[in-house]
This record gives sequence, structure tokens and C-alpha cells, in this order.
Amino acid sequence: MSSILLVDDHAVLRAGLRLLLDAQPDLHVAGEAEDSRAAVAQAAALQPDLILLDLSLTNCSGLAAIPSLRTAAPQARILVLTMHDDEGYVRQALAAGAHGYVLKRAADAELIAAIRAVLRGELYIHPALTRQLLEELLPQMPPASPWESLSEREREVLVLVARGYTAAEIATRLNLSPKTVETYRTRGMEKLGLRSRAALVQFALDHNLLTST
Amino acid sequence: MNAGATKQHLSRWTSAVWNVIGAVNIRAKILGIVLGLVALMGVAATIEVRLLLEQTLTNQTYERSVAVARDVAARATDLVLMRDYYELFRLLRDTQANNPDLRYAFVIDSDGTIIAHTFGSGFPVGLRDANTVTAHEHHRSVLLTTDEGDVWDTAVPIFDGRAGIARVGLSLVAREQTIAAVTGQLLITTIMAAAMGITAAALLTWILTRPILQLVELAKAVANGDFSQRARRWANDEIGALTDAFNTMSEALAQVERERAEREQMRSQYVTQIITAQEEERKRIARELHDSTSQALTSLLVGLRSLADRHRSPELKQQVEDLRGIVGHVLNDLHTLARQLRPSVLDDLGLAAAIQRYVADCRTRSGLTIDLAMPGLNNERLDSALETALYRIVQEALTNVIRHAHATTASVVIERRTDRVRAIIEDDGCGFDPASLSGDGHLGLNGIRERAALLNGHLIIESAPGHGTTLYVEFPLPAPPEERYEQHSVGR
Ligand SMILES: Nc1ncnc2c1ncn2[C@@H]1O[C@H](COP(=O)(O)OP(=O)(O)OP(=O)(O)O)[C@@H](O)[C@H]1O
Ligand SMILES: [Mg+2]
Repeated sequence: MSSILLVDDHAVLRAGLRLLLDAQPDLHVAGEAEDSRAAVAQAAALQPDLILLDLSLTNCSGLAAIPSLRTAAPQARILVLTMHDDEGYVRQALAAGAHGYVLKRAADAELIAAIRAVLRGELYIHPALTRQLLEELLPQMPPASPWESLSEREREVLVLVARGYTAAEIATRLNLSPKTVETYRTRGMEKLGLRSRAALVQFALDHNLLTST
Repeated sequence: MNAGATKQHLSRWTSAVWNVIGAVNIRAKILGIVLGLVALMGVAATIEVRLLLEQTLTNQTYERSVAVARDVAARATDLVLMRDYYELFRLLRDTQANNPDLRYAFVIDSDGTIIAHTFGSGFPVGLRDANTVTAHEHHRSVLLTTDEGDVWDTAVPIFDGRAGIARVGLSLVAREQTIAAVTGQLLITTIMAAAMGITAAALLTWILTRPILQLVELAKAVANGDFSQRARRWANDEIGALTDAFNTMSEALAQVERERAEREQMRSQYVTQIITAQEEERKRIARELHDSTSQALTSLLVGLRSLADRHRSPELKQQVEDLRGIVGHVLNDLHTLARQLRPSVLDDLGLAAAIQRYVADCRTRSGLTIDLAMPGLNNERLDSALETALYRIVQEALTNVIRHAHATTASVVIERRTDRVRAIIEDDGCGFDPASLSGDGHLGLNGIRERAALLNGHLIIESAPGHGTTLYVEFPLPAPPEERYEQHSVGR
């Protein structure tokens, strides 16, 4: 039997969750808390196996509460249950020490499975949110740089474009007509295989072209 | 035709002269006039005086030469008749002593022999025949030009010609000296008058030009938008009136400018308030949807799940399942609505996360390729008003790209530097002519410009039909508060 601490500022939701979880043979709700202070106190007193934590609490963000919860109950697993579906929150929650991330709108379908997985020592993240996290882990293939193959002018123009100068500014700076600037830019970007300004900026960042003046 | 040519000639000359006169400043003009007048007066007076003097002196010498000659002739009569040549000679010498300008005097007897003369040695050749007089003439005078200057030579018959002729020559050299002296005096006077004239003219031009130059400075200041300066009123003349008029104008302009600035200030305050109120309201509604309504619906979901778990009837289970489906949908819709109103990410996680999320949404919604780069904008937060403005600007710009551009690729670049942050939204679509953008009906770009201006930023649109569109929005950032120094003193 695993003990669970519910932390959510919504009493009705807590009641519903208690009903749902207590119905499971292997789970029981040991306590409830509605803000982070009470949560830390309860966690220290109850030493639950799992803390089900909402990210938006009344007085402070659930994210900020994670580290103190971990010190209060070091062996407790922390599962975040939240409305927020942005991977930024997922990243921050995991960085703070959470073991799982479940969306409230999937509470009915996934919650039980997620709790069991986290209790087993696994990491559970809502499937819709894992993609972006994983993409970051994939090795970024830096394209073979044909930077050196560009002409002097093309390079000058591209560096200024990447630094955010307007076409008019570049034209005055390099003493060219705006049309010529556009030509150099298009040609240079074609040679580098870049499809947009943002891609060019990213390329310039990767090749350290933005730093020096 | 001839008259026309003359006229043309004349106008060419006039314009040439005017070019010279017009090119120099007032001081030179006045000095030129004064100098010219003084010089003209001086020269005219000198010439006039010289002529007059010459005539008067010549006449005087002539009259004296007649008088002296007649005196000599009268006194010489007895001496000639008595042939007292010694006394005659003394008479001539006395006469010469009494008249310093008497060049010479001599007496010729009726035979034509010179019987007495004042020339010490040798009588000049030809002098005797240079002038003569007949017996019944009163006198005869001739102006002789000698190598010692002009001489009035007068011949008077003695004792009606029976005792010969008396001749005297009065030199005109003194006349030349007097004229020269008077001319010199006149010249000195002219130069002194010119010097005084120049001083007076310089003073006059200073008095005249000082207020004018001051007005010129003031006009320049006004042209540069500085309405605070006032011209000093120097005199009660026309320039004083001009100064007054100018000051009144500056005052009026300053007043207009103050009112304009006040109105502008009030307007931007209102707009800021409206925008802030709108954002606050959206934030409040989004939070409400998120925190209360969604939570309640989540409770419903969980409750339905428990209900399904506790009952065995498949019919009921199915109904509960359907209900759960509906609630799930509503929950999703609410969530989307809240995010569209104002994404909580923007407040909780910052601009970068919010933009990432928004761009990702746009990609799925529109099928457009949208590249995103945010150099320098890691997880540091910017001022929240600035973050909101940048988020809304990117939102409006991308909405425009999707609605108007027919583009295949768009890109969003947000670059943060130490002193500024710049957002660039670019697409490769159809483009438009930014100059043709009218104020009414189109809130998007004008809204961007307005939002930018409220935070001291500005918008640049580069677009042309067929060449895509690029929006540059730049905001200045306040200088970082000496972070490096503080860290150093803490010792980290
Ligand atoms: N990226 C773009 N590509 C092509 N045309 C554009 C683009 N952005 C704006 N325009 C043109 O500029 C006009 C003005 O845009 P703006 O966003 O100010 O108003 P709107 O989109 O027409 O209306 P609103 O934004 O108020 O709903 C648009 O109607 C469109 O013709
Ligand atoms: Mg628009």
C-alpha cells in the first residue's frame, strides 16, 4: 500500500482525486494540503511515498515548492499534476526534482498509470510533451560550412543581416543599392542552403559570426 | 530691336552690380557708402577751391601789377626827363623791396633803350619785346611763361609815351604755393572726415546689425525646435517692432508646442492605460478559466472516473465514458481559449517560452514553415510590459503573414543585446507598399507602431510588392545596474 499526499488548492478536485485513488487497492491518500507551506509540513510529518503536486497554488508556484518538499520527504516521489502543457514547465519541473508530469485533462485516463509508474521508480511524462524534450537530445548535424566559398561581399551582407540591420542600413553601410544587397543576400543564403532569416541567424550563432563588431 | 538690346544690356549690368552689392554684408555696404561720399565731397571741393583760388589770385596779381606799373610810371616821369638814372634805379629797387613778388621792373626810353632795370647782371634776351604799349593806351598786360613760373608783365606809357615805357613783372609763383598749401589742407580735412565717417558708420552698422544678428540666431533656434529663447529689444525703432513681433511669434509657437506635447502625453497615457487594462483583464479571465473553471471540470472528470470504476453496469459505464469525452473536450477548448487570451507561459516562464509556444501553434494552425531564432534571449526575463509588447507584436505580425502574405516561409528573430532588443518578423510572401498604408481600418501595423512608441521603441517596415515583408521593431533596454561590479564585491 503506497501513501499519497495531495497538494492542490482546489478542494473539490482534491475530494474527487481522493475518491478515485482510495478506490485503488494499492493506493491510499494519507493527507491533503492546499498550499506549499502546509504541503511541506504534511510531507515532513507523513513521509508519503508519493506527492501529487499542482503547479499553480494560491500563494506560490508549485515549482518553487519542489526543492523544499524533497528535503522534507527525501524518499517521496513527486508527480506534477497540472493544467500547463508547455514543455518549458516540464523542463523546469524535472530540473527542480520532479519524477513525473501529468496533465489534468488526462487525469482520469492516465493518472493511475502515471502514479504506478513513478512509484515503480520510472519517469513519467505526458506523451504529447516528450517529443520536444527528446528532439533537443538528438545530435544537431552541423552542415558542412561553405562559408568560405562565399564572396567577400556576400559574407559582409550576410553578417549584417544576421546582426539585425535593415536592408536600408546595410545599403548605406556598404555603399550599395538596396537591390544589390538583396541579390548578395539571396545568393549567399542559397549557397549556404538557408531558407530564412532565422535560419541565417542560427547559422551565424553556430559559427560565431555575431560576436565581434 | 535696338532699344530691346539696350534694355537687355542695361538689365545685365544692373544684375551684375546688384550681385556685387548684394554679396557683401551690411557693414561693408554702409562703410562703402560713407567712404564714397566723403571721397567724392573731398575731391569735388578740392577741384572747385583750386579753380576759384587760381582765378582770384591771377586777377589779384594782375590788378596789382597794373597798380605797381602805373605807380612806377608816375614817379619815374621827372627822373626820366631829368635823366637822373641813379634815382630812377633807386625807385625801381624801392618798389621791388616793397613788393616781394615783384619779379622785375625796368624803364625803356622813347628810343627803346633800357635805361634802368632790376636785373643785377644781364638783361634777359627777348624780355623787352615781350610786351609793349602805345602812347594813348592806359596799360597793357601780358601773362608771360618763364622758366621761373608765370609772370604778369604790365607796360604803362610814361608821360603819355613821350618819356618811354615802365614795365613791371609780378610773379605768380606764390599763387601755386598757396594753391598747393590749400589743397594739402583740404586733403587732410577730407581724410579726417573719412576717418570720422568710418567710425560713425561702424557704430551705426553695429547698432543696426546687432539686433538683426540676434534675430537670426533666434530664428535658427526656433527652426531647431527651441522656442524658449527671446530676443532683447534694443531700440524703439522698426527693428524693435520686428523683435517684438518675433518674440510674440516664439511665444505663440512655444504655447502651441506645449499644448501639443501635453496632448501627446495625455494620449499616450490613455493608450498605455487602455493596453495595460486590456492585458490585465485578459490575464484575469485567462487565470479564472485556467484555475477555477478548468479545475472544476477536472474534478468532474475525476468524479466520473470514480463513478465508472465503482459500478459494474456496462450501460452506465458507456454513458459515463461519453460524459468524460465531452468534459475533456470542453476542458481542451477552455485551455486553448485561455492561452489565446493571454498565455500563462508569458508570465510564468517568460518571452522565449511563450514565443516558442506561439510559433509552434502557428505552424500547426497554418501549415507555414516558421523558423525561430532568439539569440541572447535565454531564460532571462525582460520587463513584463516589454515582454507583453514583444509577444503581441510577434502575434500580430505572424497573423498578418498568415492572413495576407501567401508566404511559404516566415521567420521570427528576437535578438537581445545589452542595450536593446530587436524583433524581426520576415516572410517571403507577396509584400505590399508600406507607404500606401492608411491609418483607418488597419489596426494591426498601427497597433504595433503604437505599442512600440509607448516603450520608446520604433517600427521599421521594409516591403515591396513581390519582395516579401520584413518588420523590424526595436526597443532600447535600460542599462544593467552594474551587475558585474556587485558580483565582484560579493566575491563570487
Ligand atoms: N506580411 C504581409 N504581407 C503582405 N501584406 C501585408 C503584410 N502585413 C500587412 N500587409 C498589408 O498591410 C495591410 C495592413 O495590415 P494591418 O495589420 O495594419 O491591418 P489588417 O491586417 O488589414 O487589419 P487588422 O490587423 O486590423 O485586423 C494589410 O491589409 C495588408 O494588405
Ligand atoms: Mg493585421
